[in-house]
Amino acid sequence: MDVETVRKVAKVARLRLSPNEEAQFARDLEEVLNYFSILDQAPSFETHDFNPVLISDILREDVPGQDIEPEILKGSMDTYQDMVRGPKLS
Amino acid sequence: MSCGLSPEKLVRLNDRHHMFAELSSDLSALQEYPPRLHFSAKDNLCAQGFQARAGSRILEGYRPPFDATAVARMRSAGRALIGKTNMDEFGFGTFCTNSGFGVPRNPFEIGRSCGGSSGGAAAAACLLEGHMALGVSTGGSISCPASFCGVLGLTPTYGRVSRYGLIDYANSLDKIGLLTRDAKDIRTCLPIISGPDPKDPTSCVQPPLALDGRHVAQVAVPEEAIKNLSTGVEEEFRKALKLLEDQLGIEVRSVSMPSLQYALSAYYVLATSEASTNLARYCGMRFGVKGGSISQHFNDFFSETRSAFFGTEAKRRILLGTYARMVGFRDRYYMKALAVRQLIISEYNRIFQDSDLVLTPSMPFVAPKFGEIERMKPLEVYQADYLTVPANLAGTPHLSLPCGYHEGMPVGMQFVAPHWEERLLLDIADRWSCAFSYQFPEAEE
Amino acid sequence: MKIGLEVHVQLPTRSKLFCSCPTTAESPNSAICPTCLGFPGSRPILNRRALEMGVAIAQFLQCQIADEVWFSRKTYFYPDLPKNFQITQYDSPVGVNGSCLVGGRSIGIWRVHIEEDPGRIKRVGKSGEEVSLIDYNRSGIPLVEIVTAPDLTSPEEARAFLTELLVELRHIIGTSASDEQSVRVDANLSVGQERVEVKNVQGLRNLERALKFEASRQTKMLEAGMKVIRETRRFDEERKVTHSAREKEFEEDYGYIGEPDLGTFDVGSIARSLKPIETPLRRAQRMAGHYMVDFEKCKQIVLTSMAMADLFEALAERVDPEMAMNWTLGPISSNWNTLLPLLNPPVTLDIVTVVKHVADREITDSEGRRRIGAIAAGECPTDISCAVQDSLLDSIISKYLDENPQVVKDYTTNPRAANSAIGHVMKTAQGKYNSQEVVEAVKKEIEKRKG
Repeated sequence: MDVETVRKVAKVARLRLSPNEEAQFARDLEEVLNYFSILDQAPSFETHDFNPVLISDILREDVPGQDIEPEILKGSMDTYQDMVRGPKLS
Repeated sequence: MSCGLSPEKLVRLNDRHHMFAELSSDLSALQEYPPRLHFSAKDNLCAQGFQARAGSRILEGYRPPFDATAVARMRSAGRALIGKTNMDEFGFGTFCTNSGFGVPRNPFEIGRSCGGSSGGAAAAACLLEGHMALGVSTGGSISCPASFCGVLGLTPTYGRVSRYGLIDYANSLDKIGLLTRDAKDIRTCLPIISGPDPKDPTSCVQPPLALDGRHVAQVAVPEEAIKNLSTGVEEEFRKALKLLEDQLGIEVRSVSMPSLQYALSAYYVLATSEASTNLARYCGMRFGVKGGSISQHFNDFFSETRSAFFGTEAKRRILLGTYARMVGFRDRYYMKALAVRQLIISEYNRIFQDSDLVLTPSMPFVAPKFGEIERMKPLEVYQADYLTVPANLAGTPHLSLPCGYHEGMPVGMQFVAPHWEERLLLDIADRWSCAFSYQFPEAEE
Repeated sequence: MKIGLEVHVQLPTRSKLFCSCPTTAESPNSAICPTCLGFPGSRPILNRRALEMGVAIAQFLQCQIADEVWFSRKTYFYPDLPKNFQITQYDSPVGVNGSCLVGGRSIGIWRVHIEEDPGRIKRVGKSGEEVSLIDYNRSGIPLVEIVTAPDLTSPEEARAFLTELLVELRHIIGTSASDEQSVRVDANLSVGQERVEVKNVQGLRNLERALKFEASRQTKMLEAGMKVIRETRRFDEERKVTHSAREKEFEEDYGYIGEPDLGTFDVGSIARSLKPIETPLRRAQRMAGHYMVDFEKCKQIVLTSMAMADLFEALAERVDPEMAMNWTLGPISSNWNTLLPLLNPPVTLDIVTVVKHVADREITDSEGRRRIGAIAAGECPTDISCAVQDSLLDSIISKYLDENPQVVKDYTTNPRAANSAIGHVMKTAQGKYNSQEVVEAVKKEIEKRKG
């Protein structure tokens, strides 16, 4: 993995890396990804099992209810007139 | 039980070994008569009255408004939660050296690692008699520290214990489990923390937990798993096999599991893929560290906080996991790893047709010294997990037991059972604990 | 001109998609919990009703329904997205390859899927310098996303399509007027070769305005010999223009993975268990064809009320359909508000009988109209006793008990609680009924509501 790719991936992941970090991670990930290439030899097939055991049809009935007082949750965040403050958008 | 545990003794032990990130402000439960049974929770388990920081500075100050189900159930059963144990940041690590709040030091030899990522839990289980430590395993984070610290470590089947209130590393791999000196206590606590929880859908497919009714007669040792072992581990493991045969009457056979060669890669691809999405929420808003200034553009605001407060290993895994999911790489890595997991599960099922359990050493070496760890490269660290990863990837329940001591340091062996068959592990734990003498260090203060 | 729409409709469930927070709230950030705030350790659990609604919509739009669905994580960073990923359906939509007949044209439906809504951002401050204030009440509300093929050919047609779609959806899943106001559309429009996306347009009127502006903007550029750039734009509701969405120029890589916390869902069996529903506009088409009457008039009937359509069809089975149409849109329609609460099968029969008598020339037109009016007022049109009397009594009692539910509660411990209901009925009905009738009917209705 080259530094250019590390930079691109870091941007997608919202990580700001120093040039040293970029170079270091490029080396680390290059080594790790080389090792991962053994996966290319494994047989390939389509699967949409995302868990090691079958999880199917676990549903919740449409009944409203709140276990935790919303005031407590709201109070733990940075708010202004009941709205949560967030950074600039443009 | 010997002389009980006083709060003063607990603090002294913690000052020396750093197993707790946070101790309870109220330790009076230790001085009740009769003393209440105590437990600890790995710091990625939410517990009211404590911070939950998962070993990460980005969660500094986070006080969860709810208990993890596993914690709530232990509390309801009358156990006193005495503290949150130190861990590698978000579970990223094999030696607990990536902890943001204190690196636990091995009870047997202070210059050595406790293992990770449930390092603090293993140290607490080792040092505190009668203590039950809740740990979490994603790729081996219960077996590894259990092995390095000479205690029992049970990782239940994926989906056996509700993950509600567990700060996620990887949702398809995380399992809450138990570390302790005493096999009997595992038998008591496993039913307490297990069972369906409507707050975690993945806990709702389990068959009822059976504690008895099956007996271990035969175990299989995969030949792929006994390569690259340190001399000490190999010696102790072979002695243990002999003990199993001679004293417990268990037949040991050698098998081949060729798909194990893909396990480590598939594990790290899936784990980091999921982790990189789980960690996206840590951005300086709503909870944890609220860094940055609101007048910054949100991309800068997020990037600055994340870069300042995530540790190096966290960043490495986020990068790896993000890459493995990106357009153009997703099929080769993420999709392939999903297929490989199914392959490995089939491989285990094939072996379980003829054997009750699969057996390997837990780790390829004893607890390393901190200096040695510093010199290891990232890939080397990942590869140290090759014995624990396959069972974790497959979601099969497994148990690490002390099976020998090499130059004073514990060596662990790991039994793997089929999905939902924790009772086979309880059986072997009981029988081994009768046949083998565990050694625990004198708790120096 | 080619227009394709990605329509986001909020599903009218009582609780959110992945948590049990209510979907309505009195004040900002009050319908919140760790799950819809994305707090560490929280977990999603799928709302059954939302899944059923998604399937019903996909079925209505003639889609191929999947046997099994699952959910995926779409990762991107924005202040309104608590987990910085959205749980959606990427490679597993509930339905694909459907179509929707609108104004005589068939519009292709590419896919229908379910996903969660992010929070609502309010921008405050100077333009270009805005900071965000976020209300997470909306975070986690279930959405159905309907993606059409670019088969629409004008802004007006797009608006008409969406209007009709919402009428039909109202009948299938019970969306209300306010749900419809909150409909959000991402529209793709190309006058020439290049396609421009206008994101996050809210409501039907804004949709038409945004599309008209964008169509005009592209046309002018092409006429001036300029190239239209393929890009994403936002619609400014106040100034009624679209401009480049500068803040989202960052190319996100969504990096989709499956959502392991939810598992898979057998949607095939849900689809098979759903009873087919005839939606208003489909019904209007059927009635027009079957009874050979004007489609627009049929549309008028169904858009007023499906109960009126029931009454029309009951009439059309007994008298000439044209006559049935005139009487439905005439005397019945003008008395509709008072008649509707009284309608039941016996009353319907009485009305049909009146019109039949007119058809058979046993009574005059104006006598027929007088009798309909009488029934609508709860009175028997002739000396013979009729069904509407009982119906009127039941209707008065029901209305009172709806407005005073504590009467039913109190009745359990104190039977005299019924007296207030009895008194009200006697007063309102002004001597139409004797007291024994009223007492029996009141007690019967209270018992029914208790059980």
